[in-house]
Formats: sequence, C-alpha cells, structure tokens
Amino acid sequence: MPLVAAEEAAKLLGDESDGSRAHSIHLIPLFAENDTGEKGPRIDPNDEQAMPFSTRWTCGECHSYGTISRGWHFNAADSNAPAGRPGEPWLYFNSKLGVQLPLSYRDWPGMHRPGQVGLTPPEFTKIFGRHMPGGGPGQVTPTDTKEIAEQYVSGKLEVNCLACHNAHPGQDQGSPTGYAIQVTKMNFRWAAAASSEFAGVTGSVADAGPTYDPFMPDEGETKAPRVTYDKKAFDAKGNVFMQIVREAPKQRCYFCHSDLFSGENGEKLEKWCSDEDVHMMAGLTCVDCHRNGLGHNIVRGYDGEAADSDNPLAAATSCRGCHLGDENGKRPTGGRLGAPVPEHKGIPAVHFERLTCTACHSGPYPGDQPVLAKTSRAHRLGTINVNKDVRVMPHILAPVFARQAVTDANSSPKIGPHKLLWPAYWGTLDDQGGIKPVELATVTEVVGAVLKDVPVPATGDWSELKEEQIAKALKALDGSGQKKPVYVTGGMVYELNDDGTVAGRTDHPAAEPYLWPLAHNVRPAGQSLGVGKCTVCHSTKSPFFFGSVGVDSPIVSVSNGTRTQYEFQRAPYGRTWAFAMSFIFRPWFKVVAIGSSAVIGIVLLLFGLKALGAVARVLAEQDK
Amino acid sequence: MFETVSIFAFLATFVGIVVHWVATPAGGSRCVVRGAVHTLSLLLIEQKSSLLGALKKLVYLLAVLCFLVLAITGFYPVLVKGEHISGFLMMIHATFAPVFALCMAILAVTWAGGHRFTAEDCPWMSRLLRRVTRLHVAPDDRPWRCSLVLYKAAFWCLLFLMLPLILSIVISMFHLLGTPWQHTTLALHRWISMVFVIVAVIHTYLAIRLRMANVI
Repeated sequence: MPLVAAEEAAKLLGDESDGSRAHSIHLIPLFAENDTGEKGPRIDPNDEQAMPFSTRWTCGECHSYGTISRGWHFNAADSNAPAGRPGEPWLYFNSKLGVQLPLSYRDWPGMHRPGQVGLTPPEFTKIFGRHMPGGGPGQVTPTDTKEIAEQYVSGKLEVNCLACHNAHPGQDQGSPTGYAIQVTKMNFRWAAAASSEFAGVTGSVADAGPTYDPFMPDEGETKAPRVTYDKKAFDAKGNVFMQIVREAPKQRCYFCHSDLFSGENGEKLEKWCSDEDVHMMAGLTCVDCHRNGLGHNIVRGYDGEAADSDNPLAAATSCRGCHLGDENGKRPTGGRLGAPVPEHKGIPAVHFERLTCTACHSGPYPGDQPVLAKTSRAHRLGTINVNKDVRVMPHILAPVFARQAVTDANSSPKIGPHKLLWPAYWGTLDDQGGIKPVELATVTEVVGAVLKDVPVPATGDWSELKEEQIAKALKALDGSGQKKPVYVTGGMVYELNDDGTVAGRTDHPAAEPYLWPLAHNVRPAGQSLGVGKCTVCHSTKSPFFFGSVGVDSPIVSVSNGTRTQYEFQRAPYGRTWAFAMSFIFRPWFKVVAIGSSAVIGIVLLLFGLKALGAVARVLAEQDK
Repeated sequence: MFETVSIFAFLATFVGIVVHWVATPAGGSRCVVRGAVHTLSLLLIEQKSSLLGALKKLVYLLAVLCFLVLAITGFYPVLVKGEHISGFLMMIHATFAPVFALCMAILAVTWAGGHRFTAEDCPWMSRLLRRVTRLHVAPDDRPWRCSLVLYKAAFWCLLFLMLPLILSIVISMFHLLGTPWQHTTLALHRWISMVFVIVAVIHTYLAIRLRMANVI
C-alpha cells in the first residue's frame, strides 16, 4: 500500500473535519488504561473499583492521540521540537532560600532545564503540572527502576483534552478536588477524570500504602485514589454525553493564561479594576487567532513564527496578518475577522520597522516603572490557597521595553514589551566561568540549614538576606562538596573571598534577567502609545525610554538598584537622551520649515506670474 | 533601486562636470592648487562691498554648509551602510534641515530678481518666436549664453524642488497621512533630494564657471 494511502487509512474518525461548523456530539463510551499501558476495559459506573477513564484511550478512539501529543502545549520535553521565541518559563521559587529560578525543557536563552536542578520529569510535573494540560514531562517514560515503579502507581499525566475542550461549566481545574490538586498529589492517572463534571476522586497516591496496586486495589486501601462516577451521566448504553467543543472557550484558556498587574504605585488591583483584552470584548475568543489543526501546533502569533512552525496559518495569523494582511499579496487579506485596518496617521514608517505592534498596543500602560505582574502559571492563579498579596513571589515585572530575541534570520530584532524576572539561585562556577545551579535538594538541605532562622514574611515576599548570611551559606555549600559556590541575584554574582566575606560582581551573563514578550491584554487603539503626541515616548521623562526598572533581590542593597528601559533596548544613553531632547525644538523646526516653504512658494508664484505677464505682453504685441 | 539609481546619477553628474570642465575650460590658472584656491575664493570672498551683498554671501555659504551636512547625513547611511537614517545622523539631519530651508527662503527672496530670464539670455528664442509666431520681436543676433541660462534654470529648479522636499517630510510629522502615504512621502523625499543634490551641484559648478568668466 502506498505510504499516502496508508496514512489516509490510519486517519481516525475525528482527525479530519467534514466541513460542518456545527459541534460534533460526543456521546461516547469511556475507556481506562490497563496495567500494561494499553487500552483497558470500558468504564462501568456501577463498578466499585472503577478505574479513571483515560483520555488516550477514550478520546484516542476517534482522534490520533500520538499526533496531538506532539502539539505545542505538550511537546516541551521533546528535544526535537523547535523552541521558538522565548516564552513564559516555569518559576521555581523559595523566598526563605532566596531562590527564584526560571525553568523549562525548551531551549530558550537564559533558561535552566529541570534536570540541572535535580528535578525528574515526574517531580517537575508534580510541582508545575497543575497548570499543564497534561502530556510533555507528565508522560515521559522513565528508565530508572524506582521511577518506573512509581509511574506504574501514579500513571502518566496524559494529555487532558477536557482542560481545553470541555465546555461544561463543571470542568474543574482548580477546586480542592480538581485537576490541579490531583496533580500535586501525584494522582496523574486520575487527574483528567477528577477534572470532569461527572467524576470525583478521593485519596491520593502519596497516602496509599507501599503495596498499593491501582489495578488490584485492596479493599483496605482507604487512602488510595478512588474514582466515583455520576451514574446519571451515563445513558442506558453506558455512554456519556460530553460537552466537547472544537474551539476551546476562553475561560478554559484563562485558567493557565491569566494575568493580574499591580497598580502604578505597587498597590493591589482587583481583577474587576482592569479591562479584558480588546479582542475579547469585540467578541473573539483566544482560538480565533491561536489556531491549530489535529497536530495541535497552535499559532503563537509572533512575527517570524513561520520559520519555527509547520502551522500553515503561522505567517498569516499575527497582529499584522489580521490587521494589515499581506500588503503586497495578490488579493486583500487584511481586516480578517473584522479587524480594523489601522491608518497610523502621523506615525513615521520607521516605527513599524523598529517596534512590534505590541510595543504600543499591549500590556499595562507604562508608568515611571514597570509594575508587578502575576500570571496563572507563576502564581497558581485559580487554584486553592493562593496568597493574594501583591508582593507574593515570584516577582515578575512588566512592561519592560526590550529588544526581542529573534528565532528567524530574516526577522529584525524589534523592541517590544516584555515580562522580566531577575533569577536568584545558588550555583557553582565551572572552569570555563559558567554558572550552573545547584540541585534544589542540596540547596534545601545545606542552605536551608544555614538560613533556618530567617523569618518568612506573610506577604510571600522575599525573606531579607544579608551578605553575611550569603557568606555562611556559600561556605556551607563549599563544605558540602560544591566547588566554587556562588549566589546569583539581582544581576549580581556573589563569590566567597579568601577572608570568608563575599564579593559581588555584575558582569556575568548568568545573572542577567530573563525576559519574555507579552502580547496581552491588547488595549484599545485610543490607549496606544503615541496617541495624540510624539512626546509620550520621545521625551526625557518618557517611561518607554527612561522608565526605571527595579532590580529584584532578597538582598536589600541589591534590590535598591535600578536599570533604565533604554538599556534593555541596547540603546546608548547619549543618543536616546539627545533624540528625546530634539522633540522640544521640533515644533519650531516645523514652523521654520513651513514658513520657509511659504516664502519660497510666494517667490515662485510671484516670478511665475511675472513670467506669465512677460509672455502675455509679447503675445499682445501681435494685436497692435 | 534607489541606491543604484542614486549612485549612477551622482557618478554621471560628477563625470559630466569633469568632462565639461576639461572640454571647455573656463580660463584661470592651470595649476591645480592655484586653481582650487582661486575657485574657493570666488565662493568665499565677497566680491561686492555692500552689506546686503555680504549678507547674501553669508547666507549662501551657510546654505552650502547645510547642504553638505544634509547630503552626507542623508545619503551616507542609505548608500554606504544600506540602512535608513537614524540616531545621531538623524538628529543632525533634522537640525540642519530647517536652517537650510530658511537660507533657501532668504536666497529665494534676494536672488530671485537676479535670476530672472531676460531676452539677452536666449537670443535664439527671439529668432524662434519671430519665425514661428510672426510676432514683432526685435531681432537679436548675439550668441547664446548657455551656461548662464542653465545657471538660472538650476536656481529656479532648486527653488521648485525645495517645496516638495520640505513639505514631503514636514507633512508626515502631522497627523494627516496614514502608513502608505508615509511611505510615499518618504520615498518622495528621497527621490527629490537626489535630484536636488544633482541640480545643486550643477548650479554650484556653473556659478564657479560664470564667476571665473566674470559673467556674474
């Protein structure tokens, strides 16, 4: 059979749409996974020992699970997946230990891989899987015997299709019995079922006895995970009606992709005080722009994405793609989805070469300094027992107007708004001068012992550290076998001197802040930067160039420092200041230029009329 | 395309001037150094003693200085570095531009009268008019002063080009034109400035020649 034909034959019922825009009815049987990882028995809600349904074997009946699990949301742990533009990392933090560390399996500059700090994929999933839609590190097959045994019990954290596609309001991601808490309890196998509106899960793998076997549970295992199905959800044939929609509702996306910014003076702002993205208010949903096919390689929406993605809409589905379209194309493509085509009256074209669209249109309106930002994934928003204080860690600052990292050689590094995080961690200096973080378990044990008396503020803010305490912790790390221990914080690298004190230096790239672009919320056009006058940005006091970016650190002397926005744009101070100053005189330049034009125009008109008069006189001679 | 056309146009202009200079020498010293000093003195030293004459010459020299600065800051990044004008070059360009515009306005007022075309400039025109229109035009058999006519034409051409040159960039600073028109006005500014530079070089060359020949 030819390969193409074979692939065609392998397509499942739901892999390809027949073109109907109506929702497909999902009245389907549920299947569990068996002890060998294959398709298990059909779920019977009357079975006292019923297993949680498996999305792989339930949804996978009609949708190619393997193809889906290579999509953007699930492929972080796949080293062959293109990293694309730097994005939001997972943030491990511990205020008492002075740790605030960006982690990711993706190969982004400035990022640390979980393995570098001693986190195995299951451990990483246990900490951060609360805001993952499953897959990725959650379904990596371990090679270590102990981990294999653990995964036999906990199961894999399969791709949770319901996390995005369940339109039922009972989809439970963050309640005390929902998806997030199940992941935290290592109930990976049960997490998707617990999130559904028709199943409940009690107990946890962590509390189960050492001989617990999920496929043959003892009746005495009262603390082990147990799933109970709502029998009313099953019809006479044992099928369940699931409110599955192709286009994920925005509330599903918001669970992992919400932002909350503090006020300009660091005051706490409630969600209702801030506006939603202008696209949402216009009636769009997230997936109207962030589209994907079966491969779930969702459009991230940045310029140059087409070089990283095989999504055919990657090039066309961006700010520019919808609002402007391909200006040189054969047919008009701008104004997609009713997007207004901007005129940008009075904005010199150079702005569009140097700035991203988001620079003027996205994020909180810039003030004298960036504000503190909370994100779902960094601050566990939407889950239980969230510290709602404005100063709670991790500390993310936004907006910082920085030059973007580019992944495409054809794209120019434009300036855009970013979120910024100052990494803080304990590391070791290698022979090449590089810094590697010390494993978190070692930090907890060694540094934790030194800093055990340091008070932790109720706000969730940093515990204040002094240089003497840093010195003691570094000595302890040195004594525990860590060669050349260092402490990185606020752009500084602290090393031990021979006399036992510490010295800080600022020139190490490992101490540089990690920045990732922010694109939402998009503000209305009337609240864009530069509306009305150029001096919003082109003045010596403009937040865009001269706003001060705070340095974040548990060490007070370090956190008192600031950087300025233009430094992140790689712009020299003198030139930036002089250019801003020139706008003071620019109105006079305009007056002089227009006045001069008027004078020249009058002279031309005057002598033109004189010439015309001369011609008229010559012609008048003929009549004489 | 602009870069290519500009380079060819500038080269053609300079080559043309050199060829013309060699083919039809304007007189004066044959020594290169003495010739250069003489040429410079024709532009720098006021030949007339009146205050207005001195002011006119000063304004002219300031205009030449501004012209050189604007031409260098405007064309250097585009033709040499292959990028748009920006940074300090942009600031210098934007600072000298209004001064140049003002100088050109003053020169327009003070020089326009002296650059009027007269019947003596184009005797062949009288003959042509007589022949074609049968008008009562006085016969004039004097030879045609081609350089003088071109010199005056270049002056009026410069004034004429100044208007779109200034307005194309000033208008874009107001909230009037959208992005496509911003691109258009910028392109207009570039192309006109290229023509302006060529005409200005020709005008200056002719001014030197005519001064050496004591025609003006």
